Amino acid sequence: MTAVEKILVYQFPACAEQMGSVRHKLREALAHSGQPEAVVNHVVLAVGEACMNIIQHAYGPSDKGDILLEVEWQFAEAGGNGGNGGNERRELVFRLTDFAKHKTCAEQMRSRPLDEIRPGGLGCHIINEVMDKVVLLERQVGCGNVLELRKRL
Amino acid sequence: MECNVKSEFGYDLLELSGEVDLQFSPQLREKILGSLKTGNPLLIDLAKVSYIDSSGIASLVEGFQTAKTSKLQYGLLNISNTAMQVLTLTRLDKIFDLYSSIDQFKQKLQ
Repeated sequence: MTAVEKILVYQFPACAEQMGSVRHKLREALAHSGQPEAVVNHVVLAVGEACMNIIQHAYGPSDKGDILLEVEWQFAEAGGNGGNGGNERRELVFRLTDFAKHKTCAEQMRSRPLDEIRPGGLGCHIINEVMDKVVLLERQVGCGNVLELRKRL
Repeated sequence: MECNVKSEFGYDLLELSGEVDLQFSPQLREKILGSLKTGNPLLIDLAKVSYIDSSGIASLVEGFQTAKTSKLQYGLLNISNTAMQVLTLTRLDKIFDLYSSIDQFKQKLQ
């Protein structure tokens, strides 16, 4: 059984000027998560990188639209004794939906080799380093993309 | 983000503070490249940086490459914990010259 607790639903225009308030909303939502500051910083950074990729690559310079950010806790029994005596797996799930005309493919989400010292291309590396699972989901209706990031805690 | 360049004796000191993200990183890039164009070594103080993302890091990397090509000393000073977390994540802490004091950087210039 998986229990879900939604802690944030926030829709905002996909542009650089919004990123400060997105981070603020995320920090507020994670404030009572009981996680160390370093973990919260990493998670906020990774979600920011994902938003930035949507702004720069999904929408790009010629398209405009929103990003819908949903954050939830998922609690699942880790199996074994069947009880609830602390044998529970907790995951933070971040779902980013965009409505861009451009369809993102998994290939575009690969990070560059870190020994190539050049500006750019580090966003995907940061996301993959911080999160336990990064999945591009099929959008059921209309255009756009859904990116799901999972962090086990 | 605030970003001020001071001309010191024999080098430039860029003091960076606040949140360095996609909105402000073009401004940082411009300041770094503008300073390096003068032909001075550049030290960037990151003590008051409360957030930096990959776009801000990209500006620092571009400066690093430009300085290398121009054979100019280029370093990062007093890196805040949050900035260090990002440098470590991207393994760039092993690439940049990191300083904990201005004197250390000045010694490198001699």
